[in-house]
Amino acid sequence: MKKWYGSLGFLGVGLVLASVPWLKSVFGFPTFYLIFLYFVFFWVAQASSWNMLSGYSGYFSFGTGAFFGIGVYTTAMVVDKFHLNFMIALPVGGILAALLGLGIGFVVFRLRLLKGELFALLTLAVDFVLAAVVRNNDFIDGGFGVRLGAVKGPAFLGDFSTMMYILGLIIALLTVYVSYSIYHARFGLGLFAIRDDEEVAEGLGVPTFRYKMLIFAISCFFIGLSGALQAVQIGYITVEGIFSLRLPLFVILMSILGGRQHWLGSVLGAVIIFTLTDTFSKASIEYLNQVIIGSLLIVMILFLREGIYERLKNRLWFSLAILIIALVVQIVAGFGERFISQMAYAMLVTIAFLLLSDKIYGKLVKSFSFFLPKKQMGASNV
Amino acid sequence: MLLIGQALISGILLGGLYAILTIGLSLTWGMLKVINLAHFAFAFLAAYMTYQISTSFGLDPFLTLIITAPIFFLIGVGLQWFFNRFDVSEFNSLLVSFGLFIILQALMTALWTADYRRIESEINPYAVESFWIGPFAFPIPQFGSFIAALIIAGLTIYVLNNTYAGKALRAISQDRDIAAAFGVNYKKISMLLMGVSTAYAAVAGVFIAMIFALFPEAGVEWIGVIFAVVILGGLANVPGALAAGLLIGIVQAVTSVIAEPGMAPLVTFSLLIIALLFKPEGLFTRRSTI
Repeated sequence: MKKWYGSLGFLGVGLVLASVPWLKSVFGFPTFYLIFLYFVFFWVAQASSWNMLSGYSGYFSFGTGAFFGIGVYTTAMVVDKFHLNFMIALPVGGILAALLGLGIGFVVFRLRLLKGELFALLTLAVDFVLAAVVRNNDFIDGGFGVRLGAVKGPAFLGDFSTMMYILGLIIALLTVYVSYSIYHARFGLGLFAIRDDEEVAEGLGVPTFRYKMLIFAISCFFIGLSGALQAVQIGYITVEGIFSLRLPLFVILMSILGGRQHWLGSVLGAVIIFTLTDTFSKASIEYLNQVIIGSLLIVMILFLREGIYERLKNRLWFSLAILIIALVVQIVAGFGERFISQMAYAMLVTIAFLLLSDKIYGKLVKSFSFFLPKKQMGASNV
Repeated sequence: MLLIGQALISGILLGGLYAILTIGLSLTWGMLKVINLAHFAFAFLAAYMTYQISTSFGLDPFLTLIITAPIFFLIGVGLQWFFNRFDVSEFNSLLVSFGLFIILQALMTALWTADYRRIESEINPYAVESFWIGPFAFPIPQFGSFIAALIIAGLTIYVLNNTYAGKALRAISQDRDIAAAFGVNYKKISMLLMGVSTAYAAVAGVFIAMIFALFPEAGVEWIGVIFAVVILGGLANVPGALAAGLLIGIVQAVTSVIAEPGMAPLVTFSLLIIALLFKPEGLFTRRSTI
């Protein structure tokens, strides 16, 4: 029953978002917003697919770059070397990434010792190895980078930015939907059991090896799929850019910020972090962006390990109100020009509010209780 | 043959620098359960400070250690105080120090920009000097880092085996609670170890400043290699770290000569993956009988 509502919800969100390019032609807002949203979709897909493996089963992967790189270079090969349509590269990139994941998993998951830090470092090493292979293979890259020319998609998807928007939306929705389905399925419960205690899970009849293999393959498939599309957006592909530590760091940070226990957590995290970085790197102070990202990571780990989703659940109306008030104040006061930057600052304020401990929040609610619904007051007493 | 012999020598000398960085990282990971990614940022911050001090005051790069080592000792003490205060678990220490790493990198970009920096050759006469044994060249800074690695390793082994602090540390790494029951002050002793380990990063920084051109992103390139050395050497195993440092140094230098420089990371990390699969406790660690 619940599942049925959920699927309908996904369909609704998908339809609303799919109508944005049409709204653009009606109201004529800048193309910039489509590109911005494409990047949001990209990060949502990446963070969700990381979270499926690492959030659900507890196997922290630092190797996102490797599987992403496979997707990116599949597109590069298909377009630059074989002169085929890039649409072919999307599924192929996903499948190749999944195969690499299966290969690594087949060896690694047999060894009980390779958990936690060692698994993380091993996946990081896979990333470095793959980067070295690509850099030295003259057919794939050879260290000079690959430049994709003007890439053509199917005509019915419209111009380049609309096409990227629609494809990005489809991939992100698909990834989140799969993540959502796993979360509610028996498979997901098995993965949570593995995260909590693998020995006990095994003893209670969870087929741990098979589950880990399956989730690793699914996660890698979506990382590769999304990477294959991202290659078209990047246009100029270099080994340093693709296999850098930026991607694993960002997906980890997004999932930690949002919450690793729930499928919605990484989606929230991706939207927030990308909005923040977009704002602060545009402000022509790239290092301030880094400082904010680094501090957020530390603060979240120390004070809100379960992520903001858990807090948001209990404080939904209050935080929405704060977000909207912060947004309105900025717009009225004429602070900043871009709506996205104003959104970013409002998000920062809301996160600061979510970081408040339950005790302080309870006091806050009491002093505001005259205009809050009764139910909300009850939640604060917990 | 001459080429390979020279590659062996430069590999061993470079391995010394790897070992200096590894010993600090390996000790804190093995004994305090802190995986300190910020170690790399500290090493490069120390390198930049060496560059700045020797450029501004014309001080000999080796002498800058008198200033940087105590500063970084205190930074390490402060960091461990922070980890103790918030009771950061092993895995979370990796993430927290990753955050710190990014912040420090941003700090370096803000202070010294993203351009390449190198100590001027008038102040750093060692950079181009070598002494020769037969046909083989021994560059002074590299040779210095190798000697420093031997001194650091020897000193650390001596302290661990023969002093109260060393015994307390070994007790902590075996069982923290039991050690506490026998009166070992974990907070104090862990702050001491982290301080010393960070001071080692400062020593590495001096040699990095003398050997390489500096840029803020450089720390990232070292993470992979040094972690490979840490795993290969075995956690908190000082002789193992030294041996693994030399091994990786040799492997990289010889691969660069036989194949090409781009292949060096491939061989290094393949070695790491094989080691992780078959002997995850480290090449130079005896299997424990527990």
